[in-house]
Amino acid sequence: MTSLPPKLPARLPVKLAVLALAVPAVLALLPTAAEASQESLRRHVTYLASDALDGRLTGTDGEARARDYLVAQLDELGVEPLPGAEGLVHPFEFTAGTKDAGSVLTLATDSTEEVFTGSETFQALSLSDNGSVTGEVVFAGYGLVLPESAEFGYDSYAGLDVEGKIVVALRYFPEAVDQETRAAFSRYSGLRFRALQARERGAKGLLLVTGPNSPNAGETIAMSFDSAIAGSGIIAASASGEVGDRLFSFVSGKTLAESQTALDDGNPHVAGFAIPGVRLTLDVRVERERRVGHNLVGVLPRNVAGEVDKPYVMIGAHYDHLGRGGGGNSLARKEEVGGIHHGADDNASGVAAVLEMVSGLAAMERRRDVIVALWSGEELGVLGSNAFVEEGTIAAADLAAYVNLDMVGRARDNKVALRAMGSSSIWPEVVERANVPVGLDLTEGEDPYLPTDTLTLNQAEVPSIDLFTGAHEDYHRPTDTADLINYEDLERIARFGTLVAANVINRDAAPDFLKVEPRTDSGGDRDSVRAFTGTIPDYTTEVEGLLLSGVIAGGPADEAGLQEGDVIVEFGGQKIANIYDYTYALDAVKIGEPVLVVLERDGERMEVTITPRARD
Amino acid sequence: MNVQRFSYLATTLLVAFGAFASGAQSQSPTQSPTPSPSEGPTESDYLTRVRRLTFEGRRAGEGYFSPDGRIMVFQSERESGNPFYQIYELDMETGEGARISPGVGKTTCPFVRPGTGDVQYASTHLDPQSEELQRAELELRASGQERRYSWDYDPHMDIFVAPAGGGEPLRLTDAWGYDAEGSYSPDGEWIVFSSMRHAYDHELDPEDLARLEVNPSYFAEIYLMRADGSEQRRLTDAPGYDGGPFFFPDGSRIIWRRFDEEGLTANVYSMKPDGSDQRQLTDFGAMSWAPYVHPSGAYVFFASNKLGFGNFEIFIVDVEGTKEPVRVTFTDGFDGLPVPTPDGQQLAWTSTRHAGEGGQIYLGRWNHAAALAALEAAPPRVHNSTENPAHD
Repeated sequence: MTSLPPKLPARLPVKLAVLALAVPAVLALLPTAAEASQESLRRHVTYLASDALDGRLTGTDGEARARDYLVAQLDELGVEPLPGAEGLVHPFEFTAGTKDAGSVLTLATDSTEEVFTGSETFQALSLSDNGSVTGEVVFAGYGLVLPESAEFGYDSYAGLDVEGKIVVALRYFPEAVDQETRAAFSRYSGLRFRALQARERGAKGLLLVTGPNSPNAGETIAMSFDSAIAGSGIIAASASGEVGDRLFSFVSGKTLAESQTALDDGNPHVAGFAIPGVRLTLDVRVERERRVGHNLVGVLPRNVAGEVDKPYVMIGAHYDHLGRGGGGNSLARKEEVGGIHHGADDNASGVAAVLEMVSGLAAMERRRDVIVALWSGEELGVLGSNAFVEEGTIAAADLAAYVNLDMVGRARDNKVALRAMGSSSIWPEVVERANVPVGLDLTEGEDPYLPTDTLTLNQAEVPSIDLFTGAHEDYHRPTDTADLINYEDLERIARFGTLVAANVINRDAAPDFLKVEPRTDSGGDRDSVRAFTGTIPDYTTEVEGLLLSGVIAGGPADEAGLQEGDVIVEFGGQKIANIYDYTYALDAVKIGEPVLVVLERDGERMEVTITPRARD
Repeated sequence: MNVQRFSYLATTLLVAFGAFASGAQSQSPTQSPTPSPSEGPTESDYLTRVRRLTFEGRRAGEGYFSPDGRIMVFQSERESGNPFYQIYELDMETGEGARISPGVGKTTCPFVRPGTGDVQYASTHLDPQSEELQRAELELRASGQERRYSWDYDPHMDIFVAPAGGGEPLRLTDAWGYDAEGSYSPDGEWIVFSSMRHAYDHELDPEDLARLEVNPSYFAEIYLMRADGSEQRRLTDAPGYDGGPFFFPDGSRIIWRRFDEEGLTANVYSMKPDGSDQRQLTDFGAMSWAPYVHPSGAYVFFASNKLGFGNFEIFIVDVEGTKEPVRVTFTDGFDGLPVPTPDGQQLAWTSTRHAGEGGQIYLGRWNHAAALAALEAAPPRVHNSTENPAHD
């Protein structure tokens, strides 16, 4: 270590030198304190994102190595086990994957019996219960039910008695409807939602067939990652088009294709029907691989005594990442597939910032205990934070607030997005005060329904705030590496986070919780959004339209010539004012069908055509 | 102190806020990499690291700094139970802040007294109807109606001083009629302000009575008084709203803005502290107002809607007004009320660039050297017939 800060010029101008002498010693030390903090951040991120940690996939050795490192860091910072807990590690069980363990479909008439097996012919849905059910068969169209709140009425089960029967339905939703109708259907076409509808009507089983008019025609549905510990309360599977055709051979005067075509204009009056003379037995075996993930949670106890309303403030970041990207949400390019997903920004940056915040808070007065949470299982669907809230070691009702940092290492132009600010009325005041000395260019977002642990805490009615520096072209790719992190601004973000936390920690009254109404209904799930365009929205800038921070190389947007800085203002005839409009518009497009996109580039309006692909 | 200084603009402003919040945002902020050098000057030539400073409350504005730059005083609608502006201070090093006005009634236009740290501001809190007015306004807002923002030149408005150490506000003016828009001389001994008192101190002829009804600010003139409220005197005597006065950094002159009789256009003027030697600095034929002199004394910031009725931008002009003003903000929406920090290195102003309902205070690094160079290169001002004869 040198005795002088490295950036000090050799010859100071006289005036500046006098000034430097005049300022209190603590101020003179500030630059070096910030630099030391940057060094710590760099050290944490560099280790967490190193090859040795193999991408920190929940429940793997990589996670274990990250855990060992972080437990040691937390120990050193004075973070103690929660009351009643033995250590900082809080394990939780989760389903790491599902596979079909030999499901069998039997089609029986009074005199015959046909057996279908093999994953290309008959395969469980990941969400299915295990078991065997036999029943008469009812064809229920697309098996869709739109709730009363939807734009229009649609109920595939209207007039059908499916009690105790096997429901056969088409996958997806009517194919030949206008975009607005598609968008509405799309929201309620998720597999879980459909399984629920069948179950609620008393069906014994649900068998989905991908119709000949749909993408992936005739194929069984791939067993997606599904993190649920248990099944959905119904036996559910998919079968090939060949099975569908065989079933429709019992229907007089209609083929499967004709039946689908009749439904494809979305007419709600095209009814389903019983398929006579045949019984189906769905013998479904789903094997769920159980693993254990590990949250790291502890407390930095308060150092000022006295009564406070709600004793805890929680700060957190997830430390897990994608491993080698096998879980389905990797965006690795072809040549990168199978590589270590380093996750430096996502979310070694947030973890490092939380450690620096703990270090900063440890030196301050604290009227509330600080709960420090480093989550695992976030990338698999915020499993860790959910498990912790359910575990109840700390009651959510005792948390005055939650500060989340997820992807805070790629600040550009001083910009940081604050999200979930609608969850309490105190945030504008807290943010204003915290940012005066730090000077970030902050943008505000109200919505707490975010794809990160903020979602969990918001659902537990904890006032939450979320710091984020935006998506980028290395997002969820092996190229998200430690050398690309902006450590200078990461240090400032950690300082800002420290001041935000300190403000809440030392307030008399705990913040109020405001419920933000979700912007979209939750009937859909990942299965319902099929279109892939390869655009990377910029979440940190508020412009009218959708500003792109980049495009995924080789994706449809890339092929169409879209680039960073473009603002999408119209997509498939729908005006795009924000990310929600865009998501909604995406719901409504058809795979493989060109969509006219109007965008603004350098102030000029341009029109391009994008051809969305199917999402894997 | 300037949203107040222009009531007619009030409606204009609201329209501007609305229009830019909803639609014309497509031209992205100038900090985005779009404009190429060939397209001429951009905001980042003058302002960098621009960021929003205030977040709390419906709107905030008129931020002015203590001489050491440590404290900013400003007005904001953030008081629970009071929909009107109150006065707040913000410590620019720690972010700590507090309300310094009584919390009741309407207030505006704070300014820190050099040397003592006292803060003068205008307030209606002695009006016994204050709380009733607050309730009525809150009910109106709760009913979903948005009263068009308008400054009503409340005749209860008087100038008060909040002592630096806290305690009861001291009343400095008691004339019936609007007294507000005060600011201190650099030595802290004088306050220059705007008052409508002469509309009430004699019998008005029918024409003036009608004016007072529809356009009361017509009667506003610039006044001067000692910091203790003594020796109140009038400095201007021209038809149209004179307001928003500030001393030059060396105390030698006063900068302010004057509306025409109808209140449709305004221009920036300067004069000696005794009211003599009035000179006109701007001549856009638009609303040019909210002037403030840079601490170097070399040029004046002001806001103007020269480029469009609802599009206020900040300009600078040399203190003599000999050159064409230079535009320094290039972002759609409202940009106005420019106030530099005392070291001249930063600029605070009020903007709606976040597309919010109301303005908030922004802060950016100010490029003084670029400002000087641009003024140097600016062409001479074209004089036109509206020139104030006092200048000649």
